[in-house]
Amino acid sequence: MSLVSLTLILFLIMDPLGNVAYFIEVLNHIPPKQQRWVIIREMFIALGVMILFYFLGDFILDFLEVSDASVSLTAGTILFLVAIKIIFPNSRNSRLQSRGDEEPFVVPLSIPLIAGPAMLATVMFYSHLIGTSVIIPIFIAWFLASMVLVMSPLLMKTLGRNGLMAIERLMGMVLILLAIQRFLEGIHLFAQNV
Amino acid sequence: MVILALSLALTFFIVSNPIGNSPVILALIKDFNYAKQKQIMLREAILALALALFFQFCGEVFLGLLYVKPYTLTYCGGILLFLVAISMIFPVPPDEVKKMKQEPFFVPIATPLISGPGLMTVIMAKSQEIDSWWIITLAIILAWIPVTIALVGSPLMQQVLKRRGMVALEQLMGMILMLISVEMVVSATMKYLNA
Repeated sequence: MSLVSLTLILFLIMDPLGNVAYFIEVLNHIPPKQQRWVIIREMFIALGVMILFYFLGDFILDFLEVSDASVSLTAGTILFLVAIKIIFPNSRNSRLQSRGDEEPFVVPLSIPLIAGPAMLATVMFYSHLIGTSVIIPIFIAWFLASMVLVMSPLLMKTLGRNGLMAIERLMGMVLILLAIQRFLEGIHLFAQNV
Repeated sequence: MVILALSLALTFFIVSNPIGNSPVILALIKDFNYAKQKQIMLREAILALALALFFQFCGEVFLGLLYVKPYTLTYCGGILLFLVAISMIFPVPPDEVKKMKQEPFFVPIATPLISGPGLMTVIMAKSQEIDSWWIITLAIILAWIPVTIALVGSPLMQQVLKRRGMVALEQLMGMILMLISVEMVVSATMKYLNA
């Protein structure tokens, strides 16, 4: 897989464009100057978690004796469920569990919005499948995502609430595509080994 | 050239199937008033056009970069429509609807109902066949005009059918939509197995 493809896929799964609205909602009560600092801090935590899983991925998979097919199927399933929730939002199971006046720390911005289960499963999947070269696309995608999120108040102003909602849904569709593709690859891997 | 564009437009119109889909769409937005319905229809039509044009110019590159195969697109449409069909056949109780009912936005009307995976695949296939891009763009726009008229006109049907008729229509259309979605999954599986 080429560098561009991997970067694009990781960027889409981080889903910064779809998360802009959530970030703004969570950071609503924090003074604007501090917001930027909080976003950058949360992004660095997310990067740390992703790198951790990138290195631990192989170890965990070997330890649990999980086959390639299972990893692919799992990554597909988790991504599918996350994407379904984006496309069919439901007030009962909001992705934002902790709401309060305190400053958000780790939850919910770094985990699960940026480095969620879908992202971590994908990182593990690629680090297992491709190896060390995945670290570069992770960094590039993370950097681009950070850029988008730091500019989120500006994006909100230019696109408006409806524009952001359309982008969020569109990203949900793309994520479903990726999820199904990953799932089909899992089936393919399984069929090859039988 | 014009004749080619017209025949392409006819293909696109048939594939996006606005007349067949309009009862389904109407059942989805039956809880809104007439003016709001027309507004939703118009907005979804514009989003569908934007998506169709996007797939004409960038579809191939986009799917290639993501390593997504064309049949995955069909699976995606099938699964999304299946979920919508379930919620139509087993509607949520009315008191809960008030709390959570949001107007449909982009999904499921603009895609996968109007600019569905079928239309995207056809557009991508045709733009490989035909060299001059403007013929296809012209054809998409030509097809889009009657699609929009059919969609914006369809809320009139609610005036005829009234409240009870709409509830019955929702059940019936849920069944039809289930058929369409299963057909999509089946045809995608065919293509997957052949590939």
